Amino acid sequence: MRRTVNAALLALPALLPPLWGASAQAPGRNTLVVMREIDADNYDPPRSTARGAGEVAYMLSDTLVSLDWDQKTVRPGLAESWTVSEDGKLYTFKLRRGVTFCDGKPFTARDVAYTVTRWADPATRSPVRWRAGPVKEVRAVDDHTVEYELNEPYGELLYQLTLFFGSMVDQATVEKLGQNHGVQGFNGTGPYCWASWTPRQELVMTRHPNYNWGPPIYQNPSPQVERIVWRVVPEANTRLAGLQTGQGDVTQYIPYFALPQLRAVPSVKLSKQENYFWDHFMGFKVDKPVVNDPAVRRAVNLAVNRAAIAQAAFFGAATPADAYLNPNVAGFDPEAAKMVPSFNPDEARKVLDEAGWKPGPDGVRVKDGQRASFVVYAISTQIARVQSEAIQADLRRVGVEMRIQLWDATVAWGKLATQEFDAFFMSYPYISATDAFALYFDSRNRPTPNRMNWVDPETDRLLAEAKTALDPAVRERAIAGAQRRVSEANVWLPLAREQLWVASGPRVEGVRAHGIYGIGLYKGLDIRLTR
Amino acid sequence: MSATVPDDSAAPPIIETAAPAPPVRAGLWRRLLRDPGTALAVLAALLLVGAALLAPLLAPTDPYDNDLARALQPPGSPGLPLGADSQGRDLITRLLYGLRTSLSMGLAAVLLGGGIGAAVGFAAAYWPRVDGLLMRLMDVMLSFPAILFGLALAAIFGPGVRAVVLALSVATVPLMARIVRGSALVVMRQDYIEAARAMGMSDARLILRHLAPNCLSSIFVFATLRFGQVILLGSALSFLGLGAQPPEAELGAMASEGRNFLFFAPHIAIIPSVLIFAVVLAFNILGDGLRDALDPRLRI
Repeated sequence: MRRTVNAALLALPALLPPLWGASAQAPGRNTLVVMREIDADNYDPPRSTARGAGEVAYMLSDTLVSLDWDQKTVRPGLAESWTVSEDGKLYTFKLRRGVTFCDGKPFTARDVAYTVTRWADPATRSPVRWRAGPVKEVRAVDDHTVEYELNEPYGELLYQLTLFFGSMVDQATVEKLGQNHGVQGFNGTGPYCWASWTPRQELVMTRHPNYNWGPPIYQNPSPQVERIVWRVVPEANTRLAGLQTGQGDVTQYIPYFALPQLRAVPSVKLSKQENYFWDHFMGFKVDKPVVNDPAVRRAVNLAVNRAAIAQAAFFGAATPADAYLNPNVAGFDPEAAKMVPSFNPDEARKVLDEAGWKPGPDGVRVKDGQRASFVVYAISTQIARVQSEAIQADLRRVGVEMRIQLWDATVAWGKLATQEFDAFFMSYPYISATDAFALYFDSRNRPTPNRMNWVDPETDRLLAEAKTALDPAVRERAIAGAQRRVSEANVWLPLAREQLWVASGPRVEGVRAHGIYGIGLYKGLDIRLTR
Repeated sequence: MSATVPDDSAAPPIIETAAPAPPVRAGLWRRLLRDPGTALAVLAALLLVGAALLAPLLAPTDPYDNDLARALQPPGSPGLPLGADSQGRDLITRLLYGLRTSLSMGLAAVLLGGGIGAAVGFAAAYWPRVDGLLMRLMDVMLSFPAILFGLALAAIFGPGVRAVVLALSVATVPLMARIVRGSALVVMRQDYIEAARAMGMSDARLILRHLAPNCLSSIFVFATLRFGQVILLGSALSFLGLGAQPPEAELGAMASEGRNFLFFAPHIAIIPSVLIFAVVLAFNILGDGLRDALDPRLRI
């Protein structure tokens, strides 16, 4: 009964008049409207780290290699096949024939060389330049053969090349548009072509007529829809209503609290990706008072009820994180996962007692005149608010005070780059264990993203080995070692692993949640409209 | 908190020194309660302030102790007459503590902003040479919306009650300055001021002995009205996430939190909003009633 009432309530806004002004009319035949929460800053692949940029980039262009639904297996993309030299420094890609850009120009190895060279060029100021690896030179051997030469081996290269940052760009368009590349226009090899962009409103793309070189993970090598409109609908409830009124067809930006009710709506289809690597954690600055004590960090890990938090903050639509990484990710080490303490408040109290933190007059523990109190910073979101308050209450029960400071997104990133706080909340996407750990635990990545100030020569050595060793078994061992060092020291409090859900409306078929870099639709080749 | 509630103990000093008007001490309370609306507002204000003061005694549970298993329970659930919030905390407890925060924020802002504003107003009225300068300054301050100012302060100091109180105070200063200057200018023209001057009374003494007491009724009325407005504004700032930080309860922040669950647990947004509405309405009616009661022209 209650479910029905809730479903009816959910449908209520559907009866209200449309809220989107001029663009409110229902989408036309063969036009797919994708609703999302925010726009990207630009659509030049190497120059934006926004998920919103990637959503569009995957459709506007292609990468050399693609990633399967399991998020582990690298599949052909623009490259049909590839070989790696014995020393791991030379990758040779054989390109697919018959590929063209949206403007009809044939795609050749020279375009690959230009794209990667531009990505790795410091002048491009790409925030993700490191992802291209230690590039020595990328050269076109002939029209369909590319040599990707590195200064040292980089085991992560193929994974990194599946990411949209390496999406093919057209030199002539880049040179013509300059700083406005990906703002005023874009010429790619993707299943869809750039039509127009109205920032913070919508981006329109049309079908690329020649396209038949989609990754083998799709049933269709070509796009099925004539036109895609990426519409920004910031308000969650409006997106939910839009899905049911037909003003929008697909969205992955579903508020978690709405999921159970959305499942009860028969016209809405939900696709879930099990292998989704977007995790929430709290990191400690290991050199700040109170949290520099490993006992405190261990006690915090013991005291927090992750299962209850996953329920309260994500309404059950997230998995409590009992390890630093998702068990399905490449390079995950089960031994390291066992080192992460599970919920046991009594044990937490014992750990604190033994470390000399004695209960103080106000219930907060004290050691050598120092109160067991620390400040945590987070971006002010609903999830951060619920999560932080729940953790605060859990910690109070064992005599640790956590002071919460939530910052508006406009100032949060600047604040999170300072040394003012003792702990912080963050969530991030990753593609492999090495990808995640090299990003956060390399001592060279201070002050961000290594906001923990984790400086451990052994971790650095293991990370370097995980990236550069030639033998996959050695790489595997190295990244497992890094996970153990960090898990043992309780540098983080792992919290939750998000699940990816993509909801689609009644006239849409073939939506399957992918989840690379947090992106739901990826190339979306199997999506079609029934009316 | 009692300063905002007119009762017999607070009334006498105001009235006895109100030299140009006949003594109203005995009549104020009676006149205030004569109007049923105002009487109701007085009662409501007393109840709200009392509830806020006694929150630690009245609250059925610990305001910070959560129970995630009870999160978002609707009103009427066992042991939760008004339901629970997203942390599973009893909403009654949170409301009581939220009321406490909201009222304290309002009081602090009115005292701080009103105090500074009144000083500026007296100075402007008493020394015509600085009048223009001070009042233009107030005009400049008036031109900044309080919300914008709150956002800027929160960006600098970090969000929190301090930033909100500061923003609300700054928004109150120019308004109070204008009100005080206006009534002080009227008083300045009175013969007894002339007489006091002729007696060689010092500036400070004259302002404190004669000028200020005779402006008190308008200050008092404005402060009461402003109290209601400031609470509303403070709730708005908290709603935007600038005010009380977790786990502190604050009515605006509670409403903001509940907004996310409007479809499924509407009580979390609606109940604090209704309470904000009740507080603001009570103090507005009270302010109106006070003005009527203190206005000699309306006296029969």
